[in-house]
Amino acid sequence: MIDVQPTLNDKEVFDFIHNGYIILESIIDEDFNSKCQTLSPGHLTGFIQSRSFRQNVLLHPQVAGVARSLLGPNFTLPTSAHNHLYEHPHEGQTLHSDGLTESGYGITHLQCYYYPQLVEIEDGPTIVVPGSHQRLVDREAIAHYGNITGQVCLTVPAGTVVMTHYGIWHKAGPKINQKKRSMIKFSFFRTQPPKRDWVIESDEVPTYQHSGRHRYVTEVESYRDRRRGEYTWNWLCGLTEYQAEYHPARMFVAGIPLNQIQL
Amino acid sequence: MDNKIKKHLDECRHKLENSQLEVNDLDQIEVLLTTSVNRRCQKIMYLHSKSTNIQSPLSGWAIYDPYKDNIPKLTSQNPPYKSVLDAVSDGWRILQFPRPENFPFSDIDNSYLTFEFILEKFI
Repeated sequence: MIDVQPTLNDKEVFDFIHNGYIILESIIDEDFNSKCQTLSPGHLTGFIQSRSFRQNVLLHPQVAGVARSLLGPNFTLPTSAHNHLYEHPHEGQTLHSDGLTESGYGITHLQCYYYPQLVEIEDGPTIVVPGSHQRLVDREAIAHYGNITGQVCLTVPAGTVVMTHYGIWHKAGPKINQKKRSMIKFSFFRTQPPKRDWVIESDEVPTYQHSGRHRYVTEVESYRDRRRGEYTWNWLCGLTEYQAEYHPARMFVAGIPLNQIQL
Repeated sequence: MDNKIKKHLDECRHKLENSQLEVNDLDQIEVLLTTSVNRRCQKIMYLHSKSTNIQSPLSGWAIYDPYKDNIPKLTSQNPPYKSVLDAVSDGWRILQFPRPENFPFSDIDNSYLTFEFILEKFI
């Protein structure tokens, strides 16, 4: 099996549980970014399964390292993706989570946004709401939300990959220029029960460290976030009973386990 | 007040002072008032407050104006008001107050943004 080393430590796993995303800025090679800027919008299959995309993006040590840290060994590599390409000005999307929201406490699915070009505020950056992955909602029932305090505009340099918890609320922000803005979206899935096998300094499992309150969160909601974070942490560390679940998003996204990949 | 109505009222006052006011002048005001009310445009604003208290800070906001231009604007990171009360002081009227029993409550999970006020303003 292709050797993939975890890259996150306990603190970084705490941060992912709390925020629901991690930003890997400017990690993809410039030449490969240029190649991806010529892709057509819409569904991608062959290119995603190509040796070059796997080597440059999916198995990039930092991307695969986060997947390995949060999903364990033998996670799946995607066989399809979607190129969200915008060129003309638009008012932006409504806030939503994708597909069917995950209801459990575990982390079984990472949805990734790869930006092959610089994204500035005028380009209609993706906007995410930190911590919103911990809220189970009907995506159609948050469509009237506009802006939320503490939302983050993903204005990022070319070659950035943002890895998110699938349930995070997000939208394409307003775009006021004619520049092409691409975001290639793909997913990794877990195949094995969780255990604390990311980068650790000691075998002693630390207790979950809550990072405080997101700006839009009320006091009682923050208590609940802390408690839910503890559940997720204990689940990831293998301290709670694990039941293999078929993630509903897998209706839409297929993958091949790492041990079946040959470069 | 609509400028046309104000102008016509000024003319009526002048006519009244000179004993020239006629029923027709009052009819004209009625027409102006009717068309003015019908022309008023409703703007809707959702404000998410951190508690049911209308002085609480806001966690989210959205304004829907059916008559604004279609030119995309950059996202604002700051709420337009400090609180629901602040919006009311700027002429917004509260259409709907949040009822706590409508917000799902458990000690573990959060879901939708609380507490949603819906406001309107006529322009």
